[in-house]
Amino acid sequence: MQPFINIEHLEKKIDDFTLGPIDFLIEPGTITALVGDNGSGKSTLLKIIMDLVNADKGQIDRFGLLEKEGDWKKDLAYQPQTVVGYDAFTGEDLHQLISHWYPTWDEKLFLHIINELHVPLNKKFGKLSQGVQQKLTLALTLPRNAKVLMLDEPTSFMDIPSKKIVVDLLVDWMEKEERAIILASHQAEDIKKLADFIVLLRSGKMLGLFEKESLTEKYRKYWVTGLPGFETIPGEVFRAEHEVISNQPDLSEQYFAAHDITPMNSMTPDLEEMITLILANKMDM
Amino acid sequence: MNVPITLSKDSREPIYHQIEKQLKALIAGGHLAAGATLPSIRVLSKDLEVSVITTRRAYQNLENDGFIQTIQGKGTFVAQIEKTRKEKTKESAVYDALDTAVRTAISYDYNAKQIMDMFTSILNEYQGGKK
Repeated sequence: MQPFINIEHLEKKIDDFTLGPIDFLIEPGTITALVGDNGSGKSTLLKIIMDLVNADKGQIDRFGLLEKEGDWKKDLAYQPQTVVGYDAFTGEDLHQLISHWYPTWDEKLFLHIINELHVPLNKKFGKLSQGVQQKLTLALTLPRNAKVLMLDEPTSFMDIPSKKIVVDLLVDWMEKEERAIILASHQAEDIKKLADFIVLLRSGKMLGLFEKESLTEKYRKYWVTGLPGFETIPGEVFRAEHEVISNQPDLSEQYFAAHDITPMNSMTPDLEEMITLILANKMDM
Repeated sequence: MNVPITLSKDSREPIYHQIEKQLKALIAGGHLAAGATLPSIRVLSKDLEVSVITTRRAYQNLENDGFIQTIQGKGTFVAQIEKTRKEKTKESAVYDALDTAVRTAISYDYNAKQIMDMFTSILNEYQGGKK
């Protein structure tokens, strides 16, 4: 299957910050989360994909079309972290304007989202709370019927029930046709429930594209006493006091057995925990 | 539709295999009848917090084994499976559970007699109606 988006050797320098080189594919039917600490370059990357910022090096192939050729913008719906220029308009004004720009606008879906998330359409955007602004912005983005949805922190200000509704709305959206989502997010729940792939970014550097389970499944976390303090055990990638994480559980367990050590606890580590350790550079990859 | 699948963090069994095994048990045990609709790959992935790659792998294996059936554009359904197949699946599920219990006991240095005694006592508790 041809990928929707193919990013190759992308680089961008802004003052003393360098993003890239970035390389990854977005395939139809997948959700990819961009995950990184603050200032890791997630938003800049989305803007480059949207051609709102120029890259210094590399190229992006969108739907088989190279930069600036052809009309791919209708196939890419982008929701920035903060929208500019909406404040003076009511939800209804924005609805009229935006639905008019998109010939494939899904009015039924718009009404469904407004209803599910209880968004008032008669108030000016600038007067709404940040959470409600995010809800309205999502309602103005999803119904565009694009192939790829790019969302920059879409739920950061929302309450827990609303976040859950948004996850379900996005899951529903994915069910129809061949579509894909790129999601920049700090929300652990969103990442766990939605992502198939995770692109890890640390201060502009791409650490890799991982299938979600590959960040946890091959690892094992042990709680163990009686380990020699000076020696690294086979497979050990992280240790904090009695806690050891191994990327080669078979070898670690052989070592435990040979040294008469019985771990008190042995389990698959959490996704959140693994991401935290990798981003904080506390784990050997 | 929601299906009661619980992924174990303690187990070293691959996740796709856990999904596959639990769905097989639900089908063989008659909890999911032939024709019942299963959640879509995307929905089950959300519920279990796994990638669609993992869920798709489990569904594909189940489909190859004749437990489920996907109809393009309609969804995934529980297939009609023969009685002997059901019996075999049940038997292997119980066998696996006992195997795990015995392995745990051996890893704690229990001998055959101790394991037998423990097994008999558990069985007696069930028969005596205490459990």
